[in-house]
Amino acid sequence: MNNVMGVIFASDYETKLNELTIHRTTASLPFCGRYRLIDFTLSNMVNSGITQIGIVTRSNYSSLMDHIRMGRDWDLNRKNSGISIFPPFVLNASREMYKGKIEALYSIQGFLSHNPEEYVLLTNSNVAMNIDFNKVYDAHIKNGADVTVLTHKACPTSSRRMVVSAQEDGRIKDIYITEKPEDETYDIGLNIYLIKKDLLIKIVEKQYSRGCFDWEKDVLTKQVHDLKLYQYKIDGYVAVVDDIKSFYNENIALLDNDKRNKLFYGEGVIYTKVKDSVPTVYMDNACVKNSLVADGCVIDGTVENSVLFRGVKVGKGAVIKNSIIMENGEVMENAEVCYAITDKDVTIRNGRTISGYETYPVVVAKGKTV
Amino acid sequence: MNQRKNKECIAMLLAGGQGTRLGVLTRAVAKPAVPFGGKYRIIDFPLSNCINSGIDTVGVLTQYQPFELNQYIGNGQPWDLDRLSGGVYVLPPYMKGNAGEWYKGTANAIYQNIMFIDRFNPEYVLILSGDHIYKMDYDEMLDCHKKHNADCTIAVYDVPLEQASRFGIMNTNPDGSVYEFEEKPKHPKSTKASMGIYIFNWSVLRQYLIDDEANPDSENDFGKNIIPNMLRDGKVLWAHEFHGYWKDVGTVSSLWEANMDLLDDKSGINIGGDGGDKIYARNSAEPPQFIAASALVKHAIVSEGATVYGEVKDSIISHGAHVGMGARVIGSVVLPGAKIANGAEVYYSIIGENATIGAGAVVGAIQTAPVKGEWQIALVGPGAKVADGGKVKPAEMVE
Repeated sequence: MNNVMGVIFASDYETKLNELTIHRTTASLPFCGRYRLIDFTLSNMVNSGITQIGIVTRSNYSSLMDHIRMGRDWDLNRKNSGISIFPPFVLNASREMYKGKIEALYSIQGFLSHNPEEYVLLTNSNVAMNIDFNKVYDAHIKNGADVTVLTHKACPTSSRRMVVSAQEDGRIKDIYITEKPEDETYDIGLNIYLIKKDLLIKIVEKQYSRGCFDWEKDVLTKQVHDLKLYQYKIDGYVAVVDDIKSFYNENIALLDNDKRNKLFYGEGVIYTKVKDSVPTVYMDNACVKNSLVADGCVIDGTVENSVLFRGVKVGKGAVIKNSIIMENGEVMENAEVCYAITDKDVTIRNGRTISGYETYPVVVAKGKTV
Repeated sequence: MNQRKNKECIAMLLAGGQGTRLGVLTRAVAKPAVPFGGKYRIIDFPLSNCINSGIDTVGVLTQYQPFELNQYIGNGQPWDLDRLSGGVYVLPPYMKGNAGEWYKGTANAIYQNIMFIDRFNPEYVLILSGDHIYKMDYDEMLDCHKKHNADCTIAVYDVPLEQASRFGIMNTNPDGSVYEFEEKPKHPKSTKASMGIYIFNWSVLRQYLIDDEANPDSENDFGKNIIPNMLRDGKVLWAHEFHGYWKDVGTVSSLWEANMDLLDDKSGINIGGDGGDKIYARNSAEPPQFIAASALVKHAIVSEGATVYGEVKDSIISHGAHVGMGARVIGSVVLPGAKIANGAEVYYSIIGENATIGAGAVVGAIQTAPVKGEWQIALVGPGAKVADGGKVKPAEMVE
């Protein structure tokens, strides 16, 4: 797919990830023990032959730069193409950060037009899945679409989800943005679009000059009849992370063998930054059940239904249940952690107890000591 | 290629050994490519030691079953050895003029690559072998070499007296200089065993290699020819004592022991590298390990991509390996991608890469002590299959 370039929006202001994105972009949010969310988008692109990738950041992007570096871990350190990171920019006139995707795209017109690819894959970075974009491209060409909108079946569990309804042949008849959570299942947009580059540039210029900055609201929902919008359904495993609850649920959901196999052993290999951690050591008092454990951990306590990231230490007599412990977390002797998300470098001292609820996991912010 | 700056010291890693004593493990791969410790291969140790010691130019001499090793080394990126000047080079034997020949011995292998070394015009050459597990700062050894104005410095390791007759032994003066080298002496005078790690002044070694090649009776070996010749000529040879963990993993029993040492705090092997001595490896890009609700994992090392549903104790489970429901793995080393089916029992064994142990099969037996210094380790070769309900006896080898 040398004919498609990728544009990834690293910060996604629709999300409500609170504490977890104070220090980082949504793209660099840790996921499933050793990954960051953007790994899935990058790996899918690379596995589909998309190697010209621009990443548009908005704020707090140092963790993202540190993670991606030259893109070598995704085989994107190329002479031709590779990764270009666009730091947040301030337009001379406005003195404020870009207001929406339209303005962001307007500012990277040079990147879009100077590269030879004819199509652009636009994507947010809060979705974990394993798909082949070649199939999306083939469908796009076959349908003669202006924009192909990737969707999956789900309930709009929070507001501002994009509900899509299409005809039998996939042509989209209606798009609207939800106002409140609903229990019914719809085809929900994944914020991933394939579009011809010339058309994209034309739309962006026109919208920008009219002061319209929201790609979804100002373009897709308003021009649903003028543009040939086609739906592309993703039937397999899809995890969308856009609030604390979905972050917790989607991590824990990967304890399921079937889901894990679909995500990691599906269309292609999922790559991430290599850290050369040693394998995990289980000591004499270790008792680990139904958990995902990354390398570099040392475990001498009890761990159940949990996800441990790289380099986590679990002391003797410590108990971790239904929790997500991020990189280099330390749960010391006889401490208890239940229904919690502890960010990187969190220490839970001897005998302390941290407990949330299944419906409301407690979050311990990065670097804190309890 | 124009080297703008000469290298002070480059390393030559002898990786051509067949490793016959490792049996089926090295039937299709060179010994340095044999997996170790859950996510490493033996060659990761000398390569990581090089980069951690500031040596950025390494020639890897291969000739036996080189494909897997070549692929593993690649451009050297996992060890930070992808350099504009220097880096890692795989050096197989090649045709010269009308002639070409295999590497006849350790010294001949270096002799055949004189032109390679000359391109970097180094002051010193470090000779390494690819069959030991250890972490060493070669820079310290180089300092020792320079301090004593030696022509050759040999790393030595203090072995128990009763084992000394199995090694090449350096007999030294009280100041540390070497006066005699004895290969596997019946009555050892010292317990300083050569670790097969040498630093030579390149100009000196270069001449000895040329002279040695001209001698038709020579076995072209460092231990048997080069070192004794240098001693005879009164060159300055120094023994550099190494006190860390070091193990020759040339046999199935010693390979198993070295893996088990990872589980023993007292063994002194510490592969984690907090002090800038990390061991690097090519990454296999697998998800975190999954320990199921039915699993029982104690006193064990488990790596990424492994899935454990059964019991694992005193064992190393490598990346991508699988231990089925009701299976027991005790005192064993399960290499990458191996599958232990439901209800299988594996005791004191090494299970090769991508091997399959059928449901209910029993491999090996629990042991309390080695027999004549050798553990009776059952060995299932790479890709081999043990049928459902099959039996593999201790010390048996399955292809």
